[in-house]
Amino acid sequence: MRILALEEVTFWYPATATPALESVSLEVGSGEVVALVGRGGAGASTLLLIAAGLAPRVTGGRLAGSVTRGARAGIVLPTPWTQLSGMAFTVWDEVAFGPANLGWPEHEITRHVDRALERLEITPLASRDPVTLSGGELQRVIVAGILAMDPDLVLLDEPTAELDPEGARAVWRLVRSLAGEGKAVILATSDVDALPGVADRIIWLDQGSVRALGEPSLLAEDAMCEAGLGTTVAGLWRAAGLGAPYPLTVVDAAQRWR
Amino acid sequence: MAVNGALAFDGVAFSYGNVAALRDVSFEVAAGERVALLGRNGAGKSSVVRLVTGVLHPDEGTVWVGDWDTAGRAPEELAWRVGSVFQHADQQLFARTLREDVSFGPRALGFPAPEVRRRTDEALDALDLHAHAAQHPYDLSPALRKLAALAGALALEPTVLVLDEPTAGLDRAGRGRVADAVREHADRGAALLVVTHDLAFAAETLQRGIVLDRGRLACDEPLDRLLTSAERLKPLGLVPPPVAALSVALDLPGRPVRERDAADTLARVAGGRSRS
Repeated sequence: MRILALEEVTFWYPATATPALESVSLEVGSGEVVALVGRGGAGASTLLLIAAGLAPRVTGGRLAGSVTRGARAGIVLPTPWTQLSGMAFTVWDEVAFGPANLGWPEHEITRHVDRALERLEITPLASRDPVTLSGGELQRVIVAGILAMDPDLVLLDEPTAELDPEGARAVWRLVRSLAGEGKAVILATSDVDALPGVADRIIWLDQGSVRALGEPSLLAEDAMCEAGLGTTVAGLWRAAGLGAPYPLTVVDAAQRWR
Repeated sequence: MAVNGALAFDGVAFSYGNVAALRDVSFEVAAGERVALLGRNGAGKSSVVRLVTGVLHPDEGTVWVGDWDTAGRAPEELAWRVGSVFQHADQQLFARTLREDVSFGPRALGFPAPEVRRRTDEALDALDLHAHAAQHPYDLSPALRKLAALAGALALEPTVLVLDEPTAGLDRAGRGRVADAVREHADRGAALLVVTHDLAFAAETLQRGIVLDRGRLACDEPLDRLLTSAERLKPLGLVPPPVAALSVALDLPGRPVRERDAADTLARVAGGRSRS
């Protein structure tokens, strides 16, 4: 089922002449994980804001082209601490804030909040005051708050930026399990080394345009390595002067090396 | 206690109400040394940063910045010696232009205008931010705001630089800029303490790793040794970064953890194999 379609979308932020995103077309279906990769300023965050329906509605600016969204979207911003409601004194109430605003019956709210806390492995934090949390704990609370609203389209902008390596791995597993339930996930991350096991499709954004798209093996191609966007292992292979195709992951490299 | 290091924790404990954040933590960082502070979310790392900057003071023990005991000293006094970037660096920016923001520290310390200008220019240079100097900090991307906050800390020319997740959300080029800037600053004699989950950045840029586990010091040793030991990292919530994992998986001699060293070793070993 098609969840999101962008057709020839160009977007300008207010008072800017150069578009942040230019002629981008993209279809995302349920059960799919799409990863946006690019240098800072390439347009990944903008694309997520458009997919969420926040640009231009909240950001201002101008959009050309068409956006079709067949489902409810939830977004985790790269600055998750700005997403706190500021109205909850416990983590449980914070996570319940979204569902409560959707007007769900009490038992539905409880079910979704408890499930979201479990999925983010933060049930032990349920009674803590959000202001006492560490950065990484807070990031997981915000992700839980979005998932508790049960969106069909999950948009994640640098979802592991504040997480320890263990926590980051847990989020990547969670992304796969969301896709397994039929949700569509679009994410932007600078942790390209995590993507081979997570993403179905990679979209390389460069100065607002789609430069390439394809399977994760794209992350081992010469042009992406050259741009500093390939996986670490592929980049190393290339830097060592060993021939292409470069291995994508440590496991690939070890097989090749034998 | 005899103070040799630029920064020293001596038996430090700290609690937020009844939540203990740090227990009996002791370590020293020498001038010019580049140290990573690692551990799980909630292990107490950011509390260490707040104690160094004087935003918090220890319940027990002493935090030394050079020969200053931080007890009774306010952050603005410690700013003569300590520069810092918080985890959510956005909250550190407030001026109308990036240049004004970066120059705030040296101005607040009372330096004359030419000195303020020199420090501001050097800090903007170090992070390649001159092109954005006239922009409002909030018109910049989160990544550039992060670099801007670091420039503000560098402009203080601190003897102790503490950074909380300086590379979070930065692309490879941004991470490289941070690495170059902080390495250069340490080479000029500053002690560097970096809280980070980015073990790849730590491997490239830093020398020694201190790991906190539930508020206690769990380990303090050279990073290249620590990062290649998956068994030791696992109980601390850490995972070897890709270069270290590759070194181990391919059994590269010397187990390099930095990209350049690993690429050189890989090329050498592969060359040897094709000749034999």
